Amino acid sequence: MEYLTAVLAPQLLHGLVFGAALGLLALGLTVIFGLLGVMNFAHGELYMLGAYVGLAVIGLTGSFWLALLLAPLAVALLGALTEVATLRPLYRRPPLYGLILTFGLALVFREGVRQVWGGDMRRILPPITGSTPLLGMTYPTYRLFLLAVSCALLLLLWLFFTRTRAGILVRAAVQDAEMLDGLGVNVPRLFTLAFAGSAALAALAGLLLAPVFTVYPQMGVEMILLAFMVVILGGMGSLGGSVVAAFVIGIAQSLLTLWLNPQRVAIAIFGLMILVLIVRPRGFFGREGVLE
Amino acid sequence: MSSPLRRAVTWRALAVFALLALLPLAPWMSPYYLLLAFDALLFGAVAMSLDLLMGYTGLVSFGHAAFFGLGAYATAVLLERGVRSLWLCLAFAVVVVGLYALVVAYFATARRGIYFALLTLVFAEVVYTFFRYTQTFGGSDGIQGLPSPELAPGVVLDTPLRHYYVILAYLGLAWVALRVLVQSHFGRVLVAIRENEDRARFLGYNVQRYKLAACVISALLTGLGGALYPGRSAYATPDLMLWTVSGEFIIMVMIGGLGTLAGPVLGGVFFIVLHEKVSSYVDWYFLVVGVVLVLIVLFMPRGLFGLRRALVLRPRQLARPGRVPA
Repeated sequence: MEYLTAVLAPQLLHGLVFGAALGLLALGLTVIFGLLGVMNFAHGELYMLGAYVGLAVIGLTGSFWLALLLAPLAVALLGALTEVATLRPLYRRPPLYGLILTFGLALVFREGVRQVWGGDMRRILPPITGSTPLLGMTYPTYRLFLLAVSCALLLLLWLFFTRTRAGILVRAAVQDAEMLDGLGVNVPRLFTLAFAGSAALAALAGLLLAPVFTVYPQMGVEMILLAFMVVILGGMGSLGGSVVAAFVIGIAQSLLTLWLNPQRVAIAIFGLMILVLIVRPRGFFGREGVLE
Repeated sequence: MSSPLRRAVTWRALAVFALLALLPLAPWMSPYYLLLAFDALLFGAVAMSLDLLMGYTGLVSFGHAAFFGLGAYATAVLLERGVRSLWLCLAFAVVVVGLYALVVAYFATARRGIYFALLTLVFAEVVYTFFRYTQTFGGSDGIQGLPSPELAPGVVLDTPLRHYYVILAYLGLAWVALRVLVQSHFGRVLVAIRENEDRARFLGYNVQRYKLAACVISALLTGLGGALYPGRSAYATPDLMLWTVSGEFIIMVMIGGLGTLAGPVLGGVFFIVLHEKVSSYVDWYFLVVGVVLVLIVLFMPRGLFGLRRALVLRPRQLARPGRVPA
């Protein structure tokens, strides 16, 4: 019982919090993969930019909440511009050019940030301090807030993708963009908006997680592999799959660290990913035949 | 000279090679420049090995750093334990890298496109994590302070000049091997797979076996390059295997020009020399590299080597990116 409340439950909650934020990051990634057939290597850098732009806004105004509003907007704008300027010309080329391009974009963003803000670790203080008693343990209130916000956002996104016209159009484009184009939808604009939305989600995840982790130019590189894993595990292009996989990875990672050293945890998770890629490349919920 | 060999080795290539062999005689050549030339040619050769996969077979590997790093560790482990023969180190690297490459290639070549890229990436991350945390191999510090290997008993590779000629020999042999390979029937099938995998399969080719062979050959040549690295650097660290290093190899290939062999060598030299020259003055080198990569993907998919063609060939022949000139 002691073990349960002192060790197991907090670790499980860590996993949930991390999984929810990871879900936000992976959702954008999987939408872009579904639409463009490109694994966006720069997605981690959009996540990182969210934290840095947030840092700048907090520096100017002192308000975390304003940053939470402005940073995703700014990064979304950057995402839209990037999509129009660099990804759009590549639609007709094999997707591997897009893959290599996003690797270059990641380098540009990462090094650009290092030039502007320097390479030091920075911290964003949690806007909500203190801790809350919960089921016989105390847990930082900010993390509970993070969990609630992430889950609310995931719910909103689910409503967006199932109930709104725009969301349904995005899903239709994932299924068959050419057909959608034939039906008179402005597909390039849809792609740009989807990319902007995906960038905003990444930025939001970056800023929300910043008070829990630290802010530094490499933070995106460390997250992106995990996000890739989530997308693969969930089934590339599957929205619900990504969310489920994000929680699975988040919880698995935080629980495994109880019993295994970090090396074994990393190898176990990579091993799981290799297994999924080999045995069931469409992941938990992916459609059959997507680029297999 | 046998006929495929004669067809592969052009007079122009021999001339370039001869110039490279004479390079150390240049009056401004110092040990510093010799080591810079070593790095440039080494990574040029590695990029060229990757080009067999990227440019000819159409497979983008995000895990070549693991082949390079495993080769480096193979040499480092033997040197650390008192085995000084370069040939034994190379043989050991071939065994280690070959076995690992067989496993990776077996699973990765069953998949296409992005799945191949991701599988190679994840396998490489496993290797990286293993070396990063295993204290037997020095953990995150790697293996440091290695003695120089010996070419033959008594002939120690301890001067920049000797290092340079070893790497030049490696580059030359790798180039000849790859040239012969891509001009052979085998190479043609690889190009066919790149252009249309299904059609190649319908023609009766065992596509996976060809891809597997291309993968292993590319990995072995990269691993040999890695095995030559600790002789000069005196260390092997897990950072050699980071997936971003694999990305740098890809950048070298793209800068030089996909599917040209000589292009990626140029790309590797360009990348290393620019890195050395620019990063000693300013710290925004990788920003430049990122911008260059983006511009090349967008506007110059044939890379630096394509520039030469743009001047020589008619524009019509440049229409399709990523093609190998007949």
